[in-house]
Amino acid sequence: MMKRGVLTILSIAILSGIAFAQSRQSPKTLATVDLTGYWVSIVDEDWLSRMKGLEKGDVSGIPATPQAQTAADAWNPAKDEAQGNACRGYGAAAIMRVPTRIRVTWADENTLKVETDAGMQTRLFHFDPKAKPSRERTWQGFSVAEWAQPHEYDGPSPGGTLKVVTTNLKPGYLRKNGVPYGEKATVTEYFSRTPETYGETYLIVTTIVADPYYLFGPFVTSSQFKKLPETNNGWDPMPCSSK
Amino acid sequence: MAYDKISPFGSPVRKAKVFPRCLLLFVTLLCSSPSFAQIDLVGEWTPLFHEDNHDRLDGPHIGDYAGIPLNDAARMMADSWDADILSVPEHQCQPHPADYAIRGPADMSISKEVDRTTHQLIALHTYIWWQAQERTIWMDGRPHPDEFAAHTWQGFSTGSWIGPVLKVVTTHLKKGYIQRNGIPRSDMAEMTEFIYRRDDFLTWTVIVSDPVYLTEPMIRTTDFKTAPTQELEPYPCEIVTEIDKPHGWLPHWLPGANSFLEEYANERGVPAEAMRGGSETMLPEYRKRILAAKPKQ
Repeated sequence: MMKRGVLTILSIAILSGIAFAQSRQSPKTLATVDLTGYWVSIVDEDWLSRMKGLEKGDVSGIPATPQAQTAADAWNPAKDEAQGNACRGYGAAAIMRVPTRIRVTWADENTLKVETDAGMQTRLFHFDPKAKPSRERTWQGFSVAEWAQPHEYDGPSPGGTLKVVTTNLKPGYLRKNGVPYGEKATVTEYFSRTPETYGETYLIVTTIVADPYYLFGPFVTSSQFKKLPETNNGWDPMPCSSK
Repeated sequence: MAYDKISPFGSPVRKAKVFPRCLLLFVTLLCSSPSFAQIDLVGEWTPLFHEDNHDRLDGPHIGDYAGIPLNDAARMMADSWDADILSVPEHQCQPHPADYAIRGPADMSISKEVDRTTHQLIALHTYIWWQAQERTIWMDGRPHPDEFAAHTWQGFSTGSWIGPVLKVVTTHLKKGYIQRNGIPRSDMAEMTEFIYRRDDFLTWTVIVSDPVYLTEPMIRTTDFKTAPTQELEPYPCEIVTEIDKPHGWLPHWLPGANSFLEEYANERGVPAEAMRGGSETMLPEYRKRILAAKPKQ
């Protein structure tokens, strides 16, 4: 009887210890997928749109409202450059579709950082629920992150997914030819990593943009990146360009 | 030692060891996790054409190979392709091959086949409305057939779960195309897919490795949205005479004779060499060459 009591107390102590230890672990430690490192866009979809840009007013494929069409028809890249808005096509709703290399690192235990060489943008994904957006709206907005799958594995898993929701955006372009999104837009993204396949490892990013003014439904794209080595990887920071 | 009771599995259990064993089981269950987790893909799905809208609806342009890691042999094959081939009776009811099918009009229904006794998942079935394409993804661990087995439009697919992600490997694909403007894919190619469920959306990743026509694997992703009220109808394909031509007519272009290859590049003000494709055209730095190029007069 006494032995049973000791075992019960021991098991409760072990379980409490495990629960306490898990609650103290940081999002970095609890990561279900390792996204860190350098990645390069594979531009084999929307090639003309992404590499050269579509004609003014071409909103094909985007569930654009009449207001969006009107704004797209009035696109003026020279004016954007002159007004210091050359980065309008590099905001969070579009940046994963821009041909670029990205560098993913942990800024701290609670914040994942994504930098792009195209447009030299920096995105911060906040896991800390206490993090607050800045007063000013920015191209990259304010991003809240969570591991989308329960932490079912001992370490990073190919099945793990990072979910990021971004708000507080400065108005920008969904495509470089001036198809707009507004400050009320919300960007929901899912980041996954494939296991090595035919010698390559890929990052798959699904981007869902909702905008009550410029879109009559979610605008969904999925972009793929290939893993690069840590050095000699072609990282080439370039400022934003409205061209 | 006497046995006091029968376990739920029918074997006798020694009473003295019941409590520690139960405790151990309890602790193990709490501390461990399932080796895999499946997601529900079953249901109705409709493709989103937010990407590659022109290519996937109107059709890709003749000679547009930009962003495709194809080799010279593939270029030559594609240059000789004539769109009239699709009007030939033998080709009119041809479905897309499995590696291209989801880029097309792919309203899709996914169902599962379960062993009625063990309730183990045997297979997932996909049905795509256009040309009534039916595909089976075997989930019961069966091996792929011998290399000399029949090669078909859908190939032979086996699936496995990587956590919540469905991985599918397909072999035995009949010779087909990577893009419906004649870019070929050989019957020696293999395809690996990763299917991610993102709440109400699917992101369907297709990676094709082809030792005959590609210089490196080609990856594409396609998005679907749930369509719970969708009811797919049959697709009876009827062969009709579209162009009155003699029997045996085989539309094609001989090497160097296709005068339409640069038409799209000129129309869009893109260097003709970019439209010839190759792995360098799918990397961001290629954009500099596009922007630096002078428009053709």
